[in-house]
Amino acid sequence: MTNLHTNSNLPVLIVGAGQAGATAAAELRKFGCGKQIILCGAETHAPYERPPLSKHVLADQERERDIFIHPASFYEDHGIDLRLGTTVVALNAKEKTAYFKDGSKTEYGSCLIATGGNARVLPELPQSTPGVHYVRTLQNARDLRAALESKTHILVIGGGFLGLEIASSARTSGHEVTLVEAAARLLPRALPAVLSEWLADRARAIGINLRLGVSINAVAVEADGVKLNLSSGTSITAALVIVAVGLHPEVELARNAGLRINHENGGISVGPDCSSSLAGIYAAGDCASQMNPFFGREVRLESWQNANVQAQCAAAAIAGAVQPKNVVPWFWTDQLGWNIQMYGEYDSTLEYVLRGEIPSALEPGKFMLLGGRAGVLRHAIAINAGGDLRQTHPLFERHASCNIAALADHTQPLRKLVAVALNACA
Amino acid sequence: MPWIHIANSDQLQDGDVIAVSIDKQNVALYQDGDSYFATDNVCTHQFALLSDGYFEDGCIECPLHQARFDVRTGKALCAPATTDLRTFPTKREGIKIFLHVE
Repeated sequence: MTNLHTNSNLPVLIVGAGQAGATAAAELRKFGCGKQIILCGAETHAPYERPPLSKHVLADQERERDIFIHPASFYEDHGIDLRLGTTVVALNAKEKTAYFKDGSKTEYGSCLIATGGNARVLPELPQSTPGVHYVRTLQNARDLRAALESKTHILVIGGGFLGLEIASSARTSGHEVTLVEAAARLLPRALPAVLSEWLADRARAIGINLRLGVSINAVAVEADGVKLNLSSGTSITAALVIVAVGLHPEVELARNAGLRINHENGGISVGPDCSSSLAGIYAAGDCASQMNPFFGREVRLESWQNANVQAQCAAAAIAGAVQPKNVVPWFWTDQLGWNIQMYGEYDSTLEYVLRGEIPSALEPGKFMLLGGRAGVLRHAIAINAGGDLRQTHPLFERHASCNIAALADHTQPLRKLVAVALNACA
Repeated sequence: MPWIHIANSDQLQDGDVIAVSIDKQNVALYQDGDSYFATDNVCTHQFALLSDGYFEDGCIECPLHQARFDVRTGKALCAPATTDLRTFPTKREGIKIFLHVE
């Protein structure tokens, strides 16, 4: 590993104090980087994890204290110059200079862009609309929590992971919840149909009014709330509307600095070590687009794991350390009281087998769906079965060819079946 | 508190983790080779039973969010966990496994 800047004593500047930025700062110190580290973020809170925002933080203010990525003393203890409530408004890549919002500037040796993204906004419902909420930041979650206290009927637009989590949290705390999703089934790009249907059954069983295959024709802001005219011919009025229709990567700083942007996914194009198209600048997390060895194509991933892994790669490159090894893409979500975890990704051409039994709408249980092609596992989904999912990791890691149907025998422990499969292909 | 008989050696094998409880405390008991280790059974990150997790090379991985802990020391090894697990001394006499709670 060579790094042109290892001799420079100029600071490492991390723009964005979210999961990727805060993790990169810690990883730099672990890799022995002794330079000044500046970590700056637009929000005023110390770096925190976003997954809890749509879950227990929405229900309980007390749980906010559990969400911080590092203990409060971490930054001072590790000599990390944490600058909150500020942003870098411009980068001069040639002169390696960053300009802050307050007019100050700093020279850097290396710069990591970890600006994440913003909630995608529906043009008809800008963030300033009374009664309309988007959930991306801790402040957003606080505002929504306060609004939930006084409103009983809420409308969620978007049946993705975030919209479903919010609907589930609100329903659990006793709200009347309607969820509108344009697709004919829940999460059509992430899950096989059988699981979408199971989730929809569960959502309906706990009392969520699910409106699938329905799009919004017109929006009107009225005195008693927001009125939506739906493609089904009906209309809904709600005093509290939550829009969860995806994320827009925040790449303006990078684009203006001249970094290459992937036009398909909107992310900052980076190499295996997270280096961008310009020397000394790296990108990691939701804003980065990278060739993924497991998927075999360039992707922009919005996951907690990806933010951490790319932060580690960028930190290793900046510190001149050995790159960490590739990981199997892993994702988790907590939906309607169920923990869902996945390796790999959904593809409608995969053949899926079921391990265990799918419980009816309100019954407890655990099960897995294993999706493969030509005997190679490409997607595993575990419902309340994270320990079992982990057993399949070696099969994913080695792209091992095996009899996937044999793994579905739930009278046998999965650990044993995976060992048999690995032996057979060794 | 004295040593408490919590399990017998035929209840688990090398590489296994099982849940045991003492009073109202959830404890995870691990067998690694010929050695037994015990920790709190609840992850320090969020509520999940570590006995449902993945035990390998002396480390337990939480089934919810893949936080890992060294079962010998209880040390939290990776995100999202930052707080160590409580550990308990164990000993084996014949087939009986005992645990010591302070």
